[in-house]
Amino acid sequence: MRQYLPFVLSSAVLAATGCNSIHPDGAAATLPGEELYRSCEPCHGGAGEGNPSIAAPAIAGHPAWYVEAQLVKFRSGIRGAHPDDYEGLRMRPMSRQLYTQAEIKAVAEHVSKLPVQKAAPTITGDAAAGAVSWGTCQACHGVDGKGNPAVNAPPLAGQNDWYLLTQLKKFKAGIRGTNPDDTTGGTMRPMSMTLADEQAMKNVIAHINTLSR
Amino acid sequence: MISKYLEAGSTYAGDIDSLILLILAVVGFWGLLAEVVFFGLIFKFAEKEGVKALYVTGEDPKEKRWVSIPHYLTLIFDVMIIIGALRVWAEVKLDMPQADETVRVTAQQWAWTFTHPGPDGKLDTEDDIRTVDELHVEVGKTYHFELASRDVLHSFSVPIFRLKQDIVPGRIIKGWFKPVITGTYDIQCTEICGIGHGLMPAKIVISEAGKHQAWVKANAGVAAVAAPVSGSTGGMP
Repeated sequence: MRQYLPFVLSSAVLAATGCNSIHPDGAAATLPGEELYRSCEPCHGGAGEGNPSIAAPAIAGHPAWYVEAQLVKFRSGIRGAHPDDYEGLRMRPMSRQLYTQAEIKAVAEHVSKLPVQKAAPTITGDAAAGAVSWGTCQACHGVDGKGNPAVNAPPLAGQNDWYLLTQLKKFKAGIRGTNPDDTTGGTMRPMSMTLADEQAMKNVIAHINTLSR
Repeated sequence: MISKYLEAGSTYAGDIDSLILLILAVVGFWGLLAEVVFFGLIFKFAEKEGVKALYVTGEDPKEKRWVSIPHYLTLIFDVMIIIGALRVWAEVKLDMPQADETVRVTAQQWAWTFTHPGPDGKLDTEDDIRTVDELHVEVGKTYHFELASRDVLHSFSVPIFRLKQDIVPGRIIKGWFKPVITGTYDIQCTEICGIGHGLMPAKIVISEAGKHQAWVKANAGVAAVAAPVSGSTGGMP
């Protein structure tokens, strides 16, 4: 019997490992958000500070409801599935590492609790002219740019300005916000049309840079 | 034989399978025989009481045969394998049959974008159909493909076609295939391309002419069609 001991022991270890694994059907217990976040770290950074060199925005301190909504969109192909959305196409498969709604909630909660990272301005524009355009944006995003969950508008103040410019361009070009199931993106898209050109976008972003989070 | 486990979906899949089987048979037979002889000699000439070890210089022709005969046989069978491989190489890589249609495959971290010709059968026109993670082709048609990468090295692999071709940034790499069966099968990236490498599966949908043409008609000119989420990497429980 003793000669079978290594086999029995290794089988028991394998079985125990299998029991703790996450099944695609989400049958097993949800991992803590902190642990799930490790998959996000290579791009968004351990503190959620982002990495402009690979177009990964800062996400630390984003409201949980917004992170959750975007993860659901990426995961189901409502966002990040347009052939021209290079960064979105990278994010979409990463979101698929979260198997259940509970996991999405857990990681969103973790992100929301990370201390907000102050983003250094990289875009110059006419903030005064941008403040005029901001009049349209503030209806949803708030006068102070802190967002409004009641209308699904995320905070913009403190967000990476290069990311805001990229997203405005995507909305305007129809790369984001054109999926029929993207109701909130569909709301944002016509708003982006009110900005005549790239300079107008930079102006309003220069104004957003003056708002504190 | 291999197609019992993985369907042969292209005109050249059977030839590639035959080559793999030839290599398996040659290497397998001689590999096993070599091991049998090796262990046989070990046991036969194991240390024995009262028998003094011999120093073998390898000058006796009878002893040299143990090396020279396998050596010549290796050369002969190598030539067999090379001839078989060159025939398949010429068929798959050197001869490009006339294309009925051309599709463009663009890889990136970590997704595939496929550009299909619309009803006009030509690429780079307004009716082109771009899809993400889903390639649509018609059975029995010869396709040329153009591979491009937006970022790093990838590899376009369609197991049922026995097709695997690296994609190198900055280059357009061309090839061809002709599907012979219908159905939906896997496309995979077979070159480690970053943290999401394992999360970029795609599908190839091979349809009968009528069904494929209906799909082309329905999607012509549509800017983006994303593959629905499915399978173990998708469906939200």
